[in-house]
Amino acid sequence: MVSTVTNSDVKQKDVDQAVVVAVTFAAVFGPEAEDGSTVYRLGAALPLLQRVNERLLEKNSAEHQLFDVILITTDSWQQQQSSSIINSTRHHGLEISRFCFSTEDNYVESLMQNNVQLFFTTDGNEALQATHQGVPSAMLDKNSVSCPSEQLRVLFCENAIIQPNMGSTEASKKSAQNFLAHLGQMRQKFGVSDSPLCFTLVTSHGGKDSCCCALKSLRSLGVSVDEAYCLGGAPRGPILSLLRPHFLLSDGFSLLEG
Amino acid sequence: MSLDAVQVMSGQVKELKVSPSSNGDARGSWEGKEEFDPNQLELTTKPKPVTGRRARKVEGAVFFPKPENAVTVAVSSRVLFRTEREQKVFEQKGVEEYLRYQIEHENEPFAPGPAFPFVKALEVVNARLRELYPESEELFDIVLVTYNHAHVGIRLINTINHHNLFIERFCMTGGSSPIGYLKAWHTNLYLSADAEKVREALAEGIAAATMFMPEKLTEVSESQLRVAFDGDAVLFSDESECIFKTHGLDKFFEHEKENEDRLLDHGPLKGFLEVLGKLQKKFYAKGQRLDCPIRTYLVTARSAASSGIRALKTLRAWGLEIDEALFLAGAPKGPMLEKIRPHIYFDDQMFHVEGAAEMGTAAAHVPYGIAQKYNSQQKMSSGKTENSSFMTSPLTYRSSSRQIRYRPAGKLCSAYPEFTEPHMFSLPGASINRQ
Repeated sequence: MVSTVTNSDVKQKDVDQAVVVAVTFAAVFGPEAEDGSTVYRLGAALPLLQRVNERLLEKNSAEHQLFDVILITTDSWQQQQSSSIINSTRHHGLEISRFCFSTEDNYVESLMQNNVQLFFTTDGNEALQATHQGVPSAMLDKNSVSCPSEQLRVLFCENAIIQPNMGSTEASKKSAQNFLAHLGQMRQKFGVSDSPLCFTLVTSHGGKDSCCCALKSLRSLGVSVDEAYCLGGAPRGPILSLLRPHFLLSDGFSLLEG
Repeated sequence: MSLDAVQVMSGQVKELKVSPSSNGDARGSWEGKEEFDPNQLELTTKPKPVTGRRARKVEGAVFFPKPENAVTVAVSSRVLFRTEREQKVFEQKGVEEYLRYQIEHENEPFAPGPAFPFVKALEVVNARLRELYPESEELFDIVLVTYNHAHVGIRLINTINHHNLFIERFCMTGGSSPIGYLKAWHTNLYLSADAEKVREALAEGIAAATMFMPEKLTEVSESQLRVAFDGDAVLFSDESECIFKTHGLDKFFEHEKENEDRLLDHGPLKGFLEVLGKLQKKFYAKGQRLDCPIRTYLVTARSAASSGIRALKTLRAWGLEIDEALFLAGAPKGPMLEKIRPHIYFDDQMFHVEGAAEMGTAAAHVPYGIAQKYNSQQKMSSGKTENSSFMTSPLTYRSSSRQIRYRPAGKLCSAYPEFTEPHMFSLPGASINRQ
């Protein structure tokens, strides 16, 4: 039984123009509560999303194309912590507009019902499941989540661009592209330097030409990439550890191995 | 796509002979080809299939060697290609305008820069290595490492395709320091136009040098890679250099005589000479010593009869072979380098780098050791920020750095008669072949 609770502390975003992102409990908060209280420790992902919103509003106080963040629970234990979750959210002053208390059986449905355009999780299986049902998903890098950073770093791996979400429907491909277009537009609002968003492209296999294709495809969706790395078969690990992306857009999710 | 089409497109190629064993290199001269007619070029972004090269392509190990097995040479976009126009745009109008300009001119390839002949020569060596050792990963791996933004990426890739370069790996760091990536790529040599980055790389133990665009680039061999090194503060440490700078030439000779049997400490480019030697041995193992496509040179102001002995003993103790050693006893290096025609020459003193560049040699400055104290005192421009540190013309260093030099050979002759002529000293097994 899914319950959706609106967070009255936060101004609700414009339904048409906001980019709806769902973040799992584990991606927002740390695993343990702070010292026996019912308040959870905060992870780094959400503040970064919020910073993007803040900067967008700085540029244009009437801006509607903001991140609309929903917190979603993905198992029954989490579902039962609903009051602690709401409490912690208030405590940290987080800009979460809605809570979706679902379980492992019905979270994907909730995602779809809420028109979620991107689903953030730290769990590979959850991401896969959501992807298969047509919701674009991204893995939050657990390591990066704990690193302080000024910029939200998004990593595009070539597969997501050339063949997004293999095995999913036309509609979900469309929604993935839509999301990328939104991201691109948000990025455009900032200049080359001092941007709260940073896009990186990494192509692991194939040479310069597949990288070139990826750059062009992204550009056709309106996404201008800041950094590009063409690995040509070299191991991904060392480069990824230098890049410290916060979330990776790709299909497969086998990439956080090193 | 036929070979004829390639000929028309590049405009640089006089005759294109593609033998089955070549790595797609064109036989034509590279010098002075800065002008190109954009209307004549019909560039697509599709890969240009070059017969002969791609024919041997195989997915996996041979095509993309593992970074730790290959000899990785990282070059920046500003030394591989000529980007002066774009640099002006950046300096005068800022980064946004610069990126816009780049995107607008995306289909115009850049002209070759000072490191271009060097990179082409590396590919020739690769072709020969592949012939002899088709399964081996011990090849040169060229990586483009630039702190350009990825917006310039498409233009760079177009240019690489246009010039038929075999560069399949690159890092565009969008303004952040490339040093970490150099380490991740197990870089053996880093060439950049930015002295700051080069210094950072040297501090991390990576062989690095700054390259400058000479006014003219003399034609170099297309079948043999020639790399020339200075001795002190390049292959060796700057310990002797220090003595010379602080106590003068006499003390230097004394010190070297006393310490003849004590090995010199290693310098920043010793490692690169080592890997070149390893690749050379692969050719020797297959009976190709006389026809080896790699040749190394030591070009030093030391003199053969005295101070040079220590250098040779050190090299021998390190197990490094160098094909030719030229002891100039203070004579200018330019003319000698002009005869050798190396694809690249490494020196720690700007004076020598300039002298070489004047005569058309692609010279690279290694900002290491005590000589830098004297170089930097003469620096003309100031107020360079991180982003705008495009290098100034090497000629600005000229007038002031002339004060720091070895005594001209003429002056030495009265006190040291044996040093009137530069001493050329060839190691056994090598033939003295200037062309």
